[in-house]
Amino acid sequence: MATAVHGPGIITELEPFTPGHRACSGCAEALAVRLAAKAIGNNAIIVNATGCMEVVASPFPYTSWRIPWIHTLFENAAAVASGVEAGLKSMEKKGKTPERNIKVVALAGDGGTSDIGLQALSGALERGHDFVYICLDNEAYMNTGIQRSSATPYGASTTTSPAGKESLGQITWKKNMPAIAVAHDIPYVATACPSYHRDLMKKVAKAVATPGPAYVHILSACPTGWRCPTDDAIKIGRLAVKTGTFPLYEVENGQYKLNLNLTKLEPVGNYLKMQGRFRHLTEDTIKEIQERVTQEYNKLVALASKSGEKASPE
Amino acid sequence: MTKSKLTEIRWHGRGGQGAVTSAELVAQAAIGEGKYAQAFPSFSPERRGAPVMAFNRINPDEPIRTRAEVDQPDVVLIMDPNLLSILDATSGLKEGGTVIINTKKSVEQVRKDFGISARLALVDANTIAQETLGVLIVNTTMIGAMIKATGVISSESIKEPFEKRFGRLAERNIKALERAVEETKIGEWLEMAKAKTKEKPGTKGELSWKEIEIGCFITKPGNSVEIKTGDWKSRRPEFDFDKCNKCTLCYFFCPEGCIAKTKDGYFEADLFYCKGCGICATECPKDAITMVEEAK
Amino acid sequence: MTKREGLEVSIAVADAAMLSDVDVVSAYPITPQTHIVEHLAELVANGELKAAYIPVESEHSAMSACLGASAIGARTFTATASQGLELMHEVLYVASAMRFPIVMAVANRALSAPISIWGDHSDVMATRDVGWIQIFVENGQEAVDNVICAFRMGEDKRVLLPVMIHLDGFVLTHVIEPIELPDKKDVDRFLPPFKYPLPLDPEKPVTMGAFGQPFIYTEVKWAQEINLEKSKDVILEVWQEFGKAFGRQYSPIEQYQTDGAKVLLLTMGSYSETAMVAVDKMRNDGKEVGLLKLRLWRPFPYEELRESIKSAEILIVLDRAISFGGPGGPVCSEVKAALYGGEKQPKVVGFVGGLGGRDITMSGFEEMINRGIEIARTGSKREFEIYGVRE
Repeated sequence: MATAVHGPGIITELEPFTPGHRACSGCAEALAVRLAAKAIGNNAIIVNATGCMEVVASPFPYTSWRIPWIHTLFENAAAVASGVEAGLKSMEKKGKTPERNIKVVALAGDGGTSDIGLQALSGALERGHDFVYICLDNEAYMNTGIQRSSATPYGASTTTSPAGKESLGQITWKKNMPAIAVAHDIPYVATACPSYHRDLMKKVAKAVATPGPAYVHILSACPTGWRCPTDDAIKIGRLAVKTGTFPLYEVENGQYKLNLNLTKLEPVGNYLKMQGRFRHLTEDTIKEIQERVTQEYNKLVALASKSGEKASPE
Repeated sequence: MTKSKLTEIRWHGRGGQGAVTSAELVAQAAIGEGKYAQAFPSFSPERRGAPVMAFNRINPDEPIRTRAEVDQPDVVLIMDPNLLSILDATSGLKEGGTVIINTKKSVEQVRKDFGISARLALVDANTIAQETLGVLIVNTTMIGAMIKATGVISSESIKEPFEKRFGRLAERNIKALERAVEETKIGEWLEMAKAKTKEKPGTKGELSWKEIEIGCFITKPGNSVEIKTGDWKSRRPEFDFDKCNKCTLCYFFCPEGCIAKTKDGYFEADLFYCKGCGICATECPKDAITMVEEAK
Repeated sequence: MTKREGLEVSIAVADAAMLSDVDVVSAYPITPQTHIVEHLAELVANGELKAAYIPVESEHSAMSACLGASAIGARTFTATASQGLELMHEVLYVASAMRFPIVMAVANRALSAPISIWGDHSDVMATRDVGWIQIFVENGQEAVDNVICAFRMGEDKRVLLPVMIHLDGFVLTHVIEPIELPDKKDVDRFLPPFKYPLPLDPEKPVTMGAFGQPFIYTEVKWAQEINLEKSKDVILEVWQEFGKAFGRQYSPIEQYQTDGAKVLLLTMGSYSETAMVAVDKMRNDGKEVGLLKLRLWRPFPYEELRESIKSAEILIVLDRAISFGGPGGPVCSEVKAALYGGEKQPKVVGFVGGLGGRDITMSGFEEMINRGIEIARTGSKREFEIYGVRE
């Protein structure tokens, strides 16, 4: 697959994440990893938390990684990455290995990031390791069969937040992981979505080039867990962005910048109605979600305007 | 059938196709008849679309103790006709055993195309499901074919499990099942058929403990390119170069990374990897890509 | 010849890591291990030790960061104790299975609840099966020597395994005693540079930590077991080399006053030293008692144990941990299993004592041995005895 493809923006023929991986058909998370890997390049070490992307990429004796890759446990990707980074620095400083500027990138799912791995991530961000942490958010524990996480959105039906007579599904609002990353005062935080592939690759490349810790939060549709046709995985991601449910933005040294100039948000119902996990929602709940989305989006707009950064037109 | 009253069944389907549900419903029906039965999936990390297995054991008189996967089945069910070209349906099949296949083909054709001389039960489950249920979900139809071919459970006893599972959709599923019972064609066991000795389908890389690299590391970077994930698909993209404007979107949006540029600058999917998700067809701004059913 | 100096054992352990030229230290404070990592931080801050010091936010991350550092080929050291070792638990299995020769000093301490910062072996015994080489030391000198040996054992291409050095909390870690620190150049001669055979390296990419399905998992685990079993040969070789280079010799089971001893006591760690004093006294009193000190806990030294009990009629084992609802002391249980079916079987009496920092004095050991002899003769309804509990 080393065909050169040319076009505007970042283009690379590199595919450090190879075909033959065993992700579900239509998995936008696998696409996010593929695009991120293209932006990361070959001079890197990947540290992967347990989760879908680990399982589908490494059924022994096969690997989908052309670059060095390590998986150990679920909650410790940021800590292992800390060790890799510190080890490389130490060996170079002592002259035991030549200086090679190897990039260290941790990959983890939303559960591995916002739930079980949050402490290790916080520690690694606070200590200032020179690494990139990519959260691959598909809004539930998909590897174990669609259980809710703290990243699952309000109203979504999962196997551990099922909608029923007494429940509308998930009853808590999605944890704001990018804000938590920002609160660590790190130099670069960004959100991305594979539906905006150039934006995603640009941000990952920027994160990799940033000295110190960088955090990229990527939302990707999971057709299996979101209960939608595989064909729609990219379309749904685009709607998540255009409805303001998952805005694309960057925070560079504390300065917020919205990447898309959405003069008018699309109704959130357009996004919700494409997915079986929201099928049970009443118009009232959809309205409630709409209010929350608008409110959160406006907060971001305010933060971005304070920074004086102009969003580029879509 | 063999002397034992035990019937062992192996289901072959694709992740998400309902093989596990089928096995479960069959077991519920058998238990409802007062028999002893088991249903369980092949515990593996396989994803939606990937070939998967499920198993049943049914014994009218005695509790079932064996907990291992069925490796010498009496009955094999193939829910997706395309699976026949990637797996050996008769692997481990007992003498006189039956292979039940979802196919439009005739007994003669299946014998000719796949060299299966075992007892055959063929049903066009796709058509029945499409016409009766309005969706291409064949698991309940396949149960009908199995009832016809083996009689291991009755059409009556499956009704209650269907009602519990499908609620108001149960009726239509029962109709699909009954049509399958009627339409299933049987081809008897041919004498020259030799039951193969046990051979587990799909296992690879059986290294001795001495051959494993330290830490069980993999030293062949990117060797998953050897895995033919194209086996997973039930439909494939067709590219119309006349409409293609070479925009690169299909290349960028392919989760498999299997769409590449042709010599002339157009784009095409490598069907060795393509899982048939249809993203490229949805995203193509020129409608140059169409998803077509895998013809088999 | 270097001089003995008065050093706190924790400080000496940190110095030993420095002499071993570690590249990465990743650690989290926990009593009674804290002085080790404090001193390492100081050595790094002063530029005496060229290493990356990662002040992680938990022991789970401490060991996880060790995995990462070791995976790129850095010489890696950490220390912990008690709850910290338990928090690391799942990571310990990964370290051994992925064959990373991390060295860790464990300042043995009791486990909660109730919280106890004092010494026993509950923490060690809970990590018995994690696949690490595990060595007990009984004084500061042994701690220093064995930290240095641990790197050479673990990093040997025939081994590639992590090593725990167990030293008792407080009674060892916090004691100032005369210790001889080897010369740096002698250590450099003894300990070759670490070259991990398959590090994470963009020039030669490897995939570590792949998903092991049922068709391969058993083979992987068997390879790991054979590897740990075989490491004993290298461990013995390293101790011998160390003896030649530094004049101090170690072995898997060390015997004290065992000639002609009909009664043997088996202990581990620092309590062995008090037990030696007790054995001396009882020998003076004309009693035929001797002491076995179990140094190598994993891989378990079966042959050496069987050899060392040949002439004994009674074997008394002191455990400093309880296997609740089971055989009592884990060590006694393993000793019994090792001797079962052998030609020569002494009567084995198991004691559990010294829990949560409870001292056992010289006269205490004497009392224990006498009671053990008595029980061996009369028998007991209990699977094991508890030493020093108030009724």
